[in-house]
Amino acid sequence: MTAAATVSGIGRPRLGKALPGAVWALLLLTPAFVSLASVSFYPIVNGLYLSLTNTSLITQENEFSGFSNYVQLWGDAQFWNAWWHTMWFTTASTILETAIGLGMALILCEAFKGRGLVRAAMLVPWAMPTVVTSKMFSWLFDGQNGIINYILLHAGLIDQNVNWYGSPDTAMTTIIIADVWKTTPFMALLLLTGLQTVPNSLIEAARMDGAKGWITFWYIRLPLLMPTLLIAGLFRALDAFRVFDLVYVLTGGGPADSTETLSTLSYKVLFSTLQFGYGSAVSTAMFVTEGIIALVFCLYLIRLIRRAQ
Amino acid sequence: MTDIKKGPVSGSKPAAHVTIADRRQFLIGSAGLLGAATLGLGTGLGVRRARAQSRAEISFASAAFFGKETFGDLIKAFNESQDRVLVKNIELPPPSSSTEVYQGLVQQLARRTGTPDVFSQDVIWIAGFAAAGWALPLDEYFPADKRSAYFTGTLNACTYDGKLTALPWFMDSGMFYYRKDVLEKHGGKVPENWADMATIAAAAQKAGDVDFGYLWQGKQAEVLVCDAVEIITSNNGAILAPDGKSSLINQKAAVDAIQFLHDTINGTKISPQDVLSWDEEPSRQPFTSGKAMFMRNWSYVYPIAQDAKASQVVDKVGVAPLPAFPGGKRSACLGGYQLGVNANSKQREAAIELLTWLSSTETQHRIALNFGLAPTRPALFQDEKIKTEQPFMASLEKVFTGATARPITPEYAKVTLALQSGISKALVSGNVQAEMDALAAQINQIVG
Repeated sequence: MTAAATVSGIGRPRLGKALPGAVWALLLLTPAFVSLASVSFYPIVNGLYLSLTNTSLITQENEFSGFSNYVQLWGDAQFWNAWWHTMWFTTASTILETAIGLGMALILCEAFKGRGLVRAAMLVPWAMPTVVTSKMFSWLFDGQNGIINYILLHAGLIDQNVNWYGSPDTAMTTIIIADVWKTTPFMALLLLTGLQTVPNSLIEAARMDGAKGWITFWYIRLPLLMPTLLIAGLFRALDAFRVFDLVYVLTGGGPADSTETLSTLSYKVLFSTLQFGYGSAVSTAMFVTEGIIALVFCLYLIRLIRRAQ
Repeated sequence: MTDIKKGPVSGSKPAAHVTIADRRQFLIGSAGLLGAATLGLGTGLGVRRARAQSRAEISFASAAFFGKETFGDLIKAFNESQDRVLVKNIELPPPSSSTEVYQGLVQQLARRTGTPDVFSQDVIWIAGFAAAGWALPLDEYFPADKRSAYFTGTLNACTYDGKLTALPWFMDSGMFYYRKDVLEKHGGKVPENWADMATIAAAAQKAGDVDFGYLWQGKQAEVLVCDAVEIITSNNGAILAPDGKSSLINQKAAVDAIQFLHDTINGTKISPQDVLSWDEEPSRQPFTSGKAMFMRNWSYVYPIAQDAKASQVVDKVGVAPLPAFPGGKRSACLGGYQLGVNANSKQREAAIELLTWLSSTETQHRIALNFGLAPTRPALFQDEKIKTEQPFMASLEKVFTGATARPITPEYAKVTLALQSGISKALVSGNVQAEMDALAAQINQIVG
């Protein structure tokens, strides 16, 4: 015992000297690497592998099947239907949220009485659990007793109750409205921090040169805000692409598949029919699409930064 | 016999420990009732442990239902009632989270370890479990003469590929709710065919007695399949051919039936367009607030309709089997949980004993009274005690006689998703024949 203790006691400083800095660094990184690999890397690789098998809990098959799932996916009308809906949802909600969020950020950037209170209150929709938002919107847009129908009817804008969630023409729009209501504050917050980094001296200089509000915004604030805008848009787009809870609670994908998104579809394939192989292929396709979206944003951002330099 | 001995060797200690604790609680709880309880607790411990070790230990898994007691209490009662079998209760999520219950069961059964030995399953899973070889065929234990005590429709749902792989336990089904007071004004006779129903509903709506003639569930969800099964069967049609290998949903009988549902919104206008986004609860609300004349729904609506705090139609609601088309049979989509035995169970005899007890007349009687879940034995609907305590349930025998299973196929999970999407498309677009053709092709690909 004592011998071992002495040996290790002497050994430790020597070991430190013997090991080059890089090895120490790697050694210290190992715990972080292992934990990341186990919770992030392994599931992704395993998902990819599953998508190349015909694994199904029901049929008990579990064999490598090459790219047959992807071939099936390519010809699957349900998948493409969901894919287009998801893209539409992502595009529409991201643009609306960015535009409205920008407007809110510009207002909140100005000094006025009670600004702190408004800034805090603004975040309430974002802080709410999505399921609560969903339930709330299902009541607001209820076809029979919803307040939206009541207001529109009494304002003379519609002549009979609109069945918001029961008609394929309006169901997706209604879900987008719910998402915009919920997530715009988040965009506003991100853009507000961006706006605050725009040096005041630049704006003052512009004013002295006689620039009015619109010109100041268009030529000074917006270009300087662009990187923030793009990064916020990227965050939002990637998040919107995974939309699940709103659809799941409000319509379940209906009517006539008009609100089916990739998340709800992969949930159904994975957990209702328990086809883990094919479901993983759907998830992988989602992953790839998200990768492409991120790539487009990043390339544009890099071009923008290069041009600025 | 060997396995009975084997059981305690492998896992007696933790199990016995749990059981004694459970029993102690039970005994303390019912000390007032059992005169000898204290005595048993004091002197009987050693004896009980010894006895426990000679008992076959099995497990029972079920979705958690609640009432005046739980399934855990039921299992305790079984453990108390005999000394050959000792059952451990595995509680799964409640039936409202049925996807989770399904996953939990599939994961356990797929391991083929024999746990749980006995389980309860939603009627739509029976074929899948049977085809996977997880459910033990029960024919030798329950020959034809024992089966005749159950509803035929339920037995059909419990049969896959000619073998009985589940034992009926408790059931529910779709049924036709009507407003007695409004019906009185419009002929007073409960319609027995769909055309009469539509005429009466339209008349009542026109007279301003109600806002909506007929409410049903058209949301793209499982309940839409139930509504479809009922109306298609009532026109002598079917979703799958008897052999389960092809779809009949694009045949005239089925197409006409779906067309009728479409017409309730767009033709006869007895249903609001909102039914296309409604499942059970949204359709129940206008009915119990007195805005509708007829409704298709499950049995849970009746207690709500009779609750003065939640309903405007107390004592004004009647229930009947759903109407049919001329020459068709009045049908009701079957729901409920049925019992199965794990094919890999190492304690088959014990499992069958529990199964028999759970599905027995006495236990079904107890479940009817304490959980409000309807028995699968027609004879129990004549029982005096059930008639007095659950008069509504007792009146459902006629409805349950028409109980019809949803398509019986191991691929049900895929078939139902296709059905939900296809029927929803047909109802929205009105191109019933074209959508049903596409749907039939899709289903053929899944089951063929």
